[in-house]
Amino acid sequence: MSWFRITLHRSAIGLPERTRGVLSALGLRKRQQVVFHPVSAQFAGMILKVKELVKVEEVDRPLSAAEVKAERTPEPGFWVESRAAGGVLKEVEALARRRGGVKVEEEGEVRL
Amino acid sequence: MFGAFRPTNSLSGGLLWKIPWRLSQPQKYRQRQRLRAVDDVVATVSAALAKKGETLKQLERWQAEMPTEAEMLPKDKYTMFDRKEKRYRKGIHKLPKWTRVSQRLNPPGY
Repeated sequence: MSWFRITLHRSAIGLPERTRGVLSALGLRKRQQVVFHPVSAQFAGMILKVKELVKVEEVDRPLSAAEVKAERTPEPGFWVESRAAGGVLKEVEALARRRGGVKVEEEGEVRL
Repeated sequence: MFGAFRPTNSLSGGLLWKIPWRLSQPQKYRQRQRLRAVDDVVATVSAALAKKGETLKQLERWQAEMPTEAEMLPKDKYTMFDRKEKRYRKGIHKLPKWTRVSQRLNPPGY
């Protein structure tokens, strides 16, 4: 089963009530919003009514909201190559001991 | 020169029409992109329905009657018929909401 992936590209501000009604029936409320509908004559007709406002692709399965968000989230800008062995706190303690003359308190709090 | 009674175009002549009479080159370029985007949507929907063996009267009618961007004459892309204009043509940008409505056909002979 294939699906239409419909993105609202142009706003319907100032357009007739009928046009805005079709968009709300498709579930499109704001620009760049993405919705998925099964390929059928019914949805094809609705898409054709607003063909100047939307971008359409045919896809194999509908994506979840989280997957759509992941698509447009940029890369974080850093990559963790290796994690510290016992967590961050132990690394800090070891660093403190190496520097000498510091107190490591019992509750794990470190003062330099 | 300054103040409330300065002789500007709109004050001395009344109405000053600020909409240019023709489209600029970038406006024409963007108009072509929009026409192509609509063609793409129609093609995608048509291909998806054809795979399922379905069809749609509205879709068939559009494909039979409407020229695609490549088939359109420049005259029809950037201007439209108007019975009140000299030589019966005006810039398509005079059409309200012209970037979001389809206006491809004109009366034959004009």
